[in-house]
Amino acid sequence: MPIARRVASAVLVILLAFTATFILMQSLPGDGVLARYQNPELGLTPEQIEHLRSVYGVDRPVVAQYLSTISNYVRGDFGTSLQSGARITDLIATALPQTLVLAATGFVLAVALAAGIAFLATFPAMSRLKSAVRGLPPLFVSVPTFWVGILLIQVFSFGLGWVRVIGAEGIEALILPAITLAVPISAPLSQVLIRSLDEVQESPFVDVVRARGAGEWWVLTRNVAKNALLPTITIAGLLFGELVGGAVVTEAVFGRAGLGTLTSQAVANRDLPVIQAVVLLAAIGFVAINLIVDLLYPVIDPRLRKVRAA
Amino acid sequence: MASQTLRRRLTALLLTTLTAASMVACSGATGQPAAPSSSSTADAGQPKTGGTLTYLESATWNSLYPPAAGYYPNGGVVNNITDRLLYQNPQTLKLEPWIATSLPKVNKEATEYTFTIRDDVTYSDGTKLTAENVVKNIDLFGKGDNSRALAVSEAINNYQGGEVVNPTTVRFRFSKPSPGFEQAVSTITSGLVSDATLALDNDGFGPGNATKIVGSGPFVIDSEKIGTQISLKARPDYDWAPPSLQHQGRAYLDGITFVVAAENSVRTGSLTSGQGDIARQIEAPDEKSVKAAGLSIVSEPTNGVTNSIGLRFPSPLLSDIRTRQAIFAGIDRQAILTALFTDSYPLATSPLAKGAPGYKDESAAYVYDPAKATKLLDEAGWVAGSDGIRVKDGQRLSLTFNLALPQPRSADVITMIQEQLKQIGIEVTTIPGDWAAQVAASADLTKVQAYHSMVARADYDVIKSQYHSANRNVLQNLDSVSGKVNDPKLDALLEKVASSPQERDRAAATAAAQDYLTTQAYVLPLFEEPQVYGLQTYVQGFSTESVARPNLYSVWLNK
Repeated sequence: MPIARRVASAVLVILLAFTATFILMQSLPGDGVLARYQNPELGLTPEQIEHLRSVYGVDRPVVAQYLSTISNYVRGDFGTSLQSGARITDLIATALPQTLVLAATGFVLAVALAAGIAFLATFPAMSRLKSAVRGLPPLFVSVPTFWVGILLIQVFSFGLGWVRVIGAEGIEALILPAITLAVPISAPLSQVLIRSLDEVQESPFVDVVRARGAGEWWVLTRNVAKNALLPTITIAGLLFGELVGGAVVTEAVFGRAGLGTLTSQAVANRDLPVIQAVVLLAAIGFVAINLIVDLLYPVIDPRLRKVRAA
Repeated sequence: MASQTLRRRLTALLLTTLTAASMVACSGATGQPAAPSSSSTADAGQPKTGGTLTYLESATWNSLYPPAAGYYPNGGVVNNITDRLLYQNPQTLKLEPWIATSLPKVNKEATEYTFTIRDDVTYSDGTKLTAENVVKNIDLFGKGDNSRALAVSEAINNYQGGEVVNPTTVRFRFSKPSPGFEQAVSTITSGLVSDATLALDNDGFGPGNATKIVGSGPFVIDSEKIGTQISLKARPDYDWAPPSLQHQGRAYLDGITFVVAAENSVRTGSLTSGQGDIARQIEAPDEKSVKAAGLSIVSEPTNGVTNSIGLRFPSPLLSDIRTRQAIFAGIDRQAILTALFTDSYPLATSPLAKGAPGYKDESAAYVYDPAKATKLLDEAGWVAGSDGIRVKDGQRLSLTFNLALPQPRSADVITMIQEQLKQIGIEVTTIPGDWAAQVAASADLTKVQAYHSMVARADYDVIKSQYHSANRNVLQNLDSVSGKVNDPKLDALLEKVASSPQERDRAAATAAAQDYLTTQAYVLPLFEEPQVYGLQTYVQGFSTESVARPNLYSVWLNK
């Protein structure tokens, strides 16, 4: 029963996201066909453009477009891009792996970075570094991703020549974008981790552990960290959205052909079929990640496990 | 250490600036807009075959359907994979034979064109370029195919149909005199493609399908990565370059990789750090850093309608000629150019660029004179309100400009115009939003009253394409609600440009159209918009076609 309810609510979330996108995109001026064909460089007459709009069906009533999109989706037909005419399944099949690799690497880096910052900021032996390190998360969250990307390119690619931006393959193409993405993601992660580490440090059981003669390192890694992890994992789930947003900017700066580039081009061109598909994908991802986070709670915290079992 | 590096950099910067300045001085002395790269070829010795060129683009291509090649990212690819019936010499703009063995026979009314074509040309898929295939090409471009969402080519008007006269002769017929057709078959929007390619639909010409686009040109599409990259390789058996070219046979390069680097600083930085060989669209503020790195800037004219502001006279705000004249006198074009652009962007002297066929100097009409502007507005009955913006019959003199997003620094240009016109009591607002929002608002007279745009095409027809009510209609001369044409005289003048069979008459009609657009104060030209390329010094033989799209056939790498 709880599983059925969870699935139902997931479907509802996805449908709502889908519908909201549809309404938002419809309320923007212009449509995909206009954006593509009213380009003055093509010089089409208004009649030709009207005809093209009816060929693509964008002149139909909004409700009709909405219903036909949903029924096509149910049949597994995601349609073609209004801008390029390419099949959306092809576009996503090319873009998704690129973004997944970037997001995964960026996320792992962000976690490592956040853990590093949090431990430095809370480990008592490092007290002199504390305030400097504690200043990092607010700094990281306030610098624009765009700027970080350009800065990294200017220094490490154009200046030092360590990695190429043009014609790079594999790890070379991944390293700078992943760092760019990791910076804003690591900020909230480390902030939450620092705060919960602080809280746990002050709880009575830590004093007990200390009284038994445990060293600071032991306390931090064995007792405090484990207890401080729950809020951090919750945040990690929520950060998925940030990850998608960060990917849009990062991919644009580095010219990577991922979901982010696909999305930003699609929005600029009112390429509704592509946007719908991407939103659907993102919503599914979001729901799935949060489900995983939910399932992880009892694994990390035995107290939650007992409640479930009872 | 640091100061030493700094000093070295400053010296380098000084040297390159001096070199650049002397180069500018030289080109100014000869007064030739012709390809500067040809001069560098002279001392570079014999062309070498081999190597792959990395070409940095600002945007990804979106269709390889030849009539869509007007869009530069599309045109860069189409120009290098297709041949055309005729070749337009980019220096003289004269038409020369190419796939057609001579210039066509044209009847007196310019309604019938007969071409003799080569019989030794093949497409890269092995099929022959035949008379039937040529007719199929022009039929598709001239008529379009709505069922496949393939549009008519803007360059081909009044097209009735083509026929195969014999295996090497084709004839095309038109319902009205269509003197622009000869030039139209030389542009990349008439690039010839194989029968199999002609059978594709609009989606088939889109990303994901590039390797299926087959032309007879010096390069063949080898592979693509959707949205980021497209690779071309040379065709070893290519042997039908325009006969007037010195270079014959296969291309010197082994291949070309077009890479998208959308962000300006990344594109420029990639070039200066040696990660690319050619970059298109070096923005004016970045030219300095390209030159400072010792690389060359090539600025090529686009030979069409200049970068201009169209004043939409059907709007009640602009219906009085004195208001429009006041805007002419109230905008300091030179100040805009000095602040925002470089020498690559010449001040416009007419609605048409100096290199455009039929150009006539109209610069006397664009003199900056704020006192005169104020006087004209007073005379037209616009009285300054409490906030300094003029009012008449309860209506504020507030104009909305579109942002010409594909054009260089449009938002900055409009911002300067906003400051300048505020001085004489005119408020300027802009349409916020992206390309789709601009396009939607621009077709509506109540939303946009001043339209910023340009068109590149090296034929007399270009002025008609831009301003005729049945074409781009940028002045909104055609009222979209009532269907009424506000100024039939303008349309009549423009029709004469496109339908006079004799070149002399077309030139005269073009001059008359420029006069009319100027005396009526319909169009304020700002600058002649170039295409600005950054090139590594070892890139030799770079040239562009008549409206500055890259010709990479004769390019070679001197390294």
